[in-house]
Amino acid sequence: MTTVNDDATSSDWDGRYYHVDQVLNTPGPRTEDSFQAGDAVKDFLRNQCKILVIGAGGLGCEILANLALTGFKDIHVIDMDTIDISNLNRQFLFRPKDVGNPKALVAAEFIMQRVPGVKVTPYFGKIQDKDEDYYLQFNIIVCGLDSVEARRWINATLVNMVDEENPESLKPLIDGGTEGFKGQARVILPTISSCYECSLDMLNKPTAFPICTIANTPRLPEHCIEWASVLEWPRVHGEKKLDTDDPEHIGWLYNTALTRAKEFKIEGVTWSLTQGVVKNIIPAIASTNAIIAASCCNEAFKIATSSAAFLNNYFMLIGTEGVYSYTFEHEKRKECPVCGGESLDITISKEWTVERLIEMLVEKQDIQIKKPSLSSGIKQIYFQAPPQLEQATRPNLEKKVSELVEDGGEVTVTSSTLPFNLSLRIKYT
Amino acid sequence: MSQSGSQTIEQATTAIQVDAQPDNKTRRYDRQLRLWAASGQAALESSRILVISATATSTSILKNLVLPGIGHFTILDPKNVSAADAGNNFFLNGYSSIGKSRAEEAVPLLKELNDSVDGEAVVKRVEDLLKTDDGKQWIKNFTLVIAHNLPNGPLETLSDLLWEELEDPPLMIVRSAGFLADFYIQFREQCIIESHTETAPSIRLTKPFPALQEWADNLDYSKVDPTEHAHIPFAIILIKEADQWRAEHNGALPNTYEEKAQFKKRIRERVVKIDEENFEEAETQAVRLWSEKGVPSDIEELFSLEPLTSSSSKQTLNPEFHALLKTLHAFVNSPEGPGNLPMSSTLPDMKTDTESYVKLQRMYKAQSAIEATQFKELLASKYPQLTIDEDMVDSFIKHAHQIKVLRGKKYGALEADKDAISAALQAWPSDTATTHFALNALSILLEKNSDPTTITAETLKSEVENFVGQGVDIPEDLDNAVGELARSPTADLPNTAAFLGGMIAQEAIKMITKQYVPVNGWCVVDLIESKTGIVNN
Amino acid sequence: MIKIWSMKKSEDAAAKRKPKTSAAQIRVQKDLTELELPETMKTNFPDANDLLNFTLTITPDEGMYKGGSFTFSFAINTNYPHEPPKVKCIPKIYHPNVDLDGNVCLNILREDWKPVLNLNSVMVGLQYLFLEPNADDPLNKEAAEELRRNREQFIYNVRQAMRGNSVKAIQYDRVSAL
Repeated sequence: MTTVNDDATSSDWDGRYYHVDQVLNTPGPRTEDSFQAGDAVKDFLRNQCKILVIGAGGLGCEILANLALTGFKDIHVIDMDTIDISNLNRQFLFRPKDVGNPKALVAAEFIMQRVPGVKVTPYFGKIQDKDEDYYLQFNIIVCGLDSVEARRWINATLVNMVDEENPESLKPLIDGGTEGFKGQARVILPTISSCYECSLDMLNKPTAFPICTIANTPRLPEHCIEWASVLEWPRVHGEKKLDTDDPEHIGWLYNTALTRAKEFKIEGVTWSLTQGVVKNIIPAIASTNAIIAASCCNEAFKIATSSAAFLNNYFMLIGTEGVYSYTFEHEKRKECPVCGGESLDITISKEWTVERLIEMLVEKQDIQIKKPSLSSGIKQIYFQAPPQLEQATRPNLEKKVSELVEDGGEVTVTSSTLPFNLSLRIKYT
Repeated sequence: MSQSGSQTIEQATTAIQVDAQPDNKTRRYDRQLRLWAASGQAALESSRILVISATATSTSILKNLVLPGIGHFTILDPKNVSAADAGNNFFLNGYSSIGKSRAEEAVPLLKELNDSVDGEAVVKRVEDLLKTDDGKQWIKNFTLVIAHNLPNGPLETLSDLLWEELEDPPLMIVRSAGFLADFYIQFREQCIIESHTETAPSIRLTKPFPALQEWADNLDYSKVDPTEHAHIPFAIILIKEADQWRAEHNGALPNTYEEKAQFKKRIRERVVKIDEENFEEAETQAVRLWSEKGVPSDIEELFSLEPLTSSSSKQTLNPEFHALLKTLHAFVNSPEGPGNLPMSSTLPDMKTDTESYVKLQRMYKAQSAIEATQFKELLASKYPQLTIDEDMVDSFIKHAHQIKVLRGKKYGALEADKDAISAALQAWPSDTATTHFALNALSILLEKNSDPTTITAETLKSEVENFVGQGVDIPEDLDNAVGELARSPTADLPNTAAFLGGMIAQEAIKMITKQYVPVNGWCVVDLIESKTGIVNN
Repeated sequence: MIKIWSMKKSEDAAAKRKPKTSAAQIRVQKDLTELELPETMKTNFPDANDLLNFTLTITPDEGMYKGGSFTFSFAINTNYPHEPPKVKCIPKIYHPNVDLDGNVCLNILREDWKPVLNLNSVMVGLQYLFLEPNADDPLNKEAAEELRRNREQFIYNVRQAMRGNSVKAIQYDRVSAL
């Protein structure tokens, strides 16, 4: 064996990447021509590539470990949560002593200690705290989140970030998710392939019960629990917010639900069910997370190295009955509010009024637009309805577009004749 | 808790809150208990797993078994940590582990994942253990044996050993190279009570039990007030409507599309005012009437299944399950019985008022209890000498509509069967079988010559052609598989290892808990195409 | 690293760039500007720049609630339309499907919400509650009971409550100028 530096954390020992190097030294039958076998690809992977992991939970812990072992050395991780005891059955970088500490920090520390030479930069906070400049620094973003809202946010942010003049602005997003024995991994190339928003209708609807059933005709233990959380909590506690992580709050809900269940002779209210209903708990196990995280990291590795074709674009796994998986291309949705819709570059005189612009839009044969409403960012320019907003924005009709929208600025146009919206980029002569 | 009626909610809360909150163990396992409950957890906790070799794939598998809380694991590995191991295995201490025993280095790092799991390293060669009776018996005493990239010779010996007796533990065989992998579970029989399939139990709409029929008979639509009318449970509406239909159609239920549409129209015509959601529900649930069977066909098929019996000892495998299955058969055929599977006490939600629902639920529960007693009496009379755990009997009765029995084959069964090989190569998608056979070829070649540089696409291909034999067309996909394996014949890639770690652990959990349905056949993984497939044998 | 940009150039020459407006925001703009409300419904934006929080006032011109003016608060979060808007009735009113805390029993606000529905559907649904109160699945049980048993008495109670008087010892908010 070759001698290595005493400080093994700063250097790679000989043979360290024996396994990974087999696929980096030689192309396979399905590898693209652009693959730069050998030192070039290794240098990019190990010295240049910067990767962001969003979420340091069930998927995140796995993702971090896999990325570190495959040779990514500059890894960043964001997570806003702290460690809970119920995480320990799968989030394998955490120990009982870590309960209460930020996931991102503990996970980063663990990876750096276990896999020498890998730098993991944690951020304990929300993804929304970071701006475009932050996201622009990465080559690839891998997402292991359990929240629809956070996913929609990062997806929209990365799609919006794509700048025609800057190829570096297009960041591949790899997204994983699991539920019990089921999961999915997908590759999103913002503006090129189907995005998260395109497939929003594939999500299971969260169960909600009719409020009158909850109030008056409860039949299931869940109805009693919803009664306690939706109706009784605000009635009894007023403004005090329900904290579903507070065992005292859960205890109150449980007992309130139980009392009601007894009154109606309904069986089955338990602490676990109460917690499950109010926190909308999704079952989660290490093995499914391992599969999906591995799939995500495998795609990140293939994208970063070009060593093999990457997933196009959706891998779905159902492990309840045998092993069933389905790999398919999820189609881009034309009317997707994030990556779909129409877009138009127009150049107008600085003197044009908003009214003139609207007339122009209405007259344009190719877009067939009627009664358009316009806004720029969250600022309204002209709204056709409701009356109050129409009145409030009417004075803008007389104003020059250039007073309201900067050169190269974006205008969102909606109209009942458009399936979703039209995005205008305005330039002035 | 005090039952005093005047007690306020606040008073009641303080009384029981502390007891009700689950203990630390339950909290730790909360997210998995929602999948396999305390019974599955208990099975896991009493399991003892043997894993042969401490490769990256093996430790990944173990990680996913230690976390949910198996009882005990053993890593059997004679090797020391190489520079390559230190680079791709998360459960080694990096550079500082090099040169030390691979099993001994990995065990503590796996054990620290879960204090309640015990583990040990055994620094021995499996080949040596397979030579002695003690060694063989030691292997047989595990609940489950998992082997990753074990060379063909010892693998076949091991597979033979674990196929000697009916009750020998299942053997999970895992093979991987680069982006490609496959795995196989060698087992005799897997009897599953809680398969968690989504088939709903019958609620006896076509054959209502007496109390239910009485409710339907006594209901007079003209005598109920509008609010009651809007809260008649759909089950009652359907039973009533079905009775009337039968009376007009010589005892037959709607059969043709037109008849079914006509039947639904009748339900719609019962609606007296808008928003009667119960009638809407009855219309959508009418499908139960024509799809409800006394005994579902997949359960019917199980009735002809004879238990596996060892020729030497005359012992039966899974005797309790088979006794229950035979009893179930007798139950559905019994003239005193309902002609159905025993009633499950779980009732779906219905748009009705609390009182009607609770009343209905109690009726179903009462009937379910009657039938459970009948079932148990039948069981006792058929098998007076057999004692079966009460919980198992109850669970069997409750889940009778979703029971499953899998019969496995010995490792190598596919390769020994020319017809099966040919069928596998013709199945779609064709690359599943070609990848599997290419992995066969790789393990044969690696055993012949441990120098990986001797392995080329050509040698792999001719090895495949060799055992597939003359006259069988091999799909062109084989070129992709052999090319990929020649590229990375000995690569245990971290991502592939992690992927398999999840897959194998998941199947192991299903085998141990006897819940959910494990894979039967070769499961092939292609992480270039990002897909999995099954080769049946 | 794969050359994604080349993929883009080849198949998506006129690539799109979207404004920095969230999908929820655009959707709300679309919903609001395409509202077709009858005379009996008016929206009010306390802050005209905040499209996500506003009120709707319904003044039924027929039925038992004619003459009343009922204001609902709408709060839309950034997960719209994946999640429905949160709607509450601001005044305390006597209605079988509205409880004393302002919770409203309307299926499309909870269990039957789907993203293809829009604010117009919700508003129409709310108006419908005043034309056809549903006594069978109530939130205010007493009111529903009354409507079932004695319609005349119920109508009388509605009038009393709308004037700000008490019904069965519960005082309601005045929502009628009459």
